[in-house]
Amino acid sequence: MSMIEPVEDTHGFPFTEGATKFEIIPTDAADPSSATFVVHDEDHTLGNSLRFMVMKNPAVSFCGYSIPHPSEFKIHMRIQTDGSITAAQALNQGLDDLVALSEHVLATFEAKVAAKGDYETRDI
Amino acid sequence: MNIDHHSGLSFTEAGGPQIAIKEVTPTTVTFVLSNTDLSVANALRRVMIAEVPTIAIDLVDFELNTTVLADEFIAHRLGLIPIISHQAVHLNYRHECTCSPYCEECSVLFSLDVSCQSENAMSVYSTHLVSSSPAVQPYVDPANEKGVLIAKLRKGQQLHVKAIARKGTGKEHAKWAPCTGVAFEYDPHNKLRHTTYWHEEDARKEWPLSAKAVEEPAPRDDEPFDYKAKPERFYFTVESTGALPPTTIVTQALDVLMRKLAEVHRVLGGIAEAQGEPVVQPTYNL
Ligand SMILES: [Zn+2]
Repeated sequence: MSMIEPVEDTHGFPFTEGATKFEIIPTDAADPSSATFVVHDEDHTLGNSLRFMVMKNPAVSFCGYSIPHPSEFKIHMRIQTDGSITAAQALNQGLDDLVALSEHVLATFEAKVAAKGDYETRDI
Repeated sequence: MNIDHHSGLSFTEAGGPQIAIKEVTPTTVTFVLSNTDLSVANALRRVMIAEVPTIAIDLVDFELNTTVLADEFIAHRLGLIPIISHQAVHLNYRHECTCSPYCEECSVLFSLDVSCQSENAMSVYSTHLVSSSPAVQPYVDPANEKGVLIAKLRKGQQLHVKAIARKGTGKEHAKWAPCTGVAFEYDPHNKLRHTTYWHEEDARKEWPLSAKAVEEPAPRDDEPFDYKAKPERFYFTVESTGALPPTTIVTQALDVLMRKLAEVHRVLGGIAEAQGEPVVQPTYNL
């Protein structure tokens, strides 16, 4: 059996192993409190929830994200802090917090599913 | 760069997001996610649709097709058949595998060999597909035990097909989406005015109430608009195609979301370390 794979330009999808996942564009090399972070192979799923988490940090004065072009699979995330922490610290903490939050939601969901009898079930 | 700074949030039973499960059926789960932000609820919705991996037929070789249907038409129909995907976590994606064109680490082989001998038309169903792996079979709805109709054959017509099923996600092609849909609603009384109801004279007379309206108190007529209010209760119903149980779709989606974030976190930590900074241990353990 000879199967021929269709060859097409996938515009960088799926993400290839070894490609750049993450870049930092400093706004001002002397000022670490503001930077733009580029995350490849990510979209609104990560961008919007991470923006929310970073903005929860009281030391962050601005955080916004954009998808600079619809056919490039990447997001830009701009962070500006009040100077008490660096932009990278704010991102690092936002990522850590959002994983912890997801972990909490997962553990809660699993516990609630295990508590049969607390919810209705139907066979069809 | 210096990323060694930490005052992480902690999520307790009372302080973090809450979940209340309302109903579980073989193909659906209904739950309320509360005390969290719209962006988090939406991330969960998006991952459930587009990034939970399943198995679907991806490459089809037609050895013989004398039916009235074109090869690509049947190939498309085969791709859309839900396949039980518990094994997806153990399979490689195509781009992760070095094989050519396929191997059992990344693919499951299906064959379909049917011919019509009778005077009456013969229907070919997904249950006619023969899988190379006992654990990977087409999903069959108990109410429709023949499975999905693929084609109809007249006397003398034949269909001989080899199909390769692969692991994939809904963001590449909708055939890999594990759910037919995710019902997602918040603010059933539209107190936040995130939507505008088109109306002729009175929107409240012309529009039915949402099914979730009983879950939240209706606004009083004299209630002022709270422009600072934010949505915090999100009503989900996840309906599975049959590829994965509905509760598994939710748990796998959260796992996928965590791993995406942890990957970016790891790369950021790696850059910091390359710049000679101390290694910061994450507070979570994946
Ligand atoms: Zn392979």
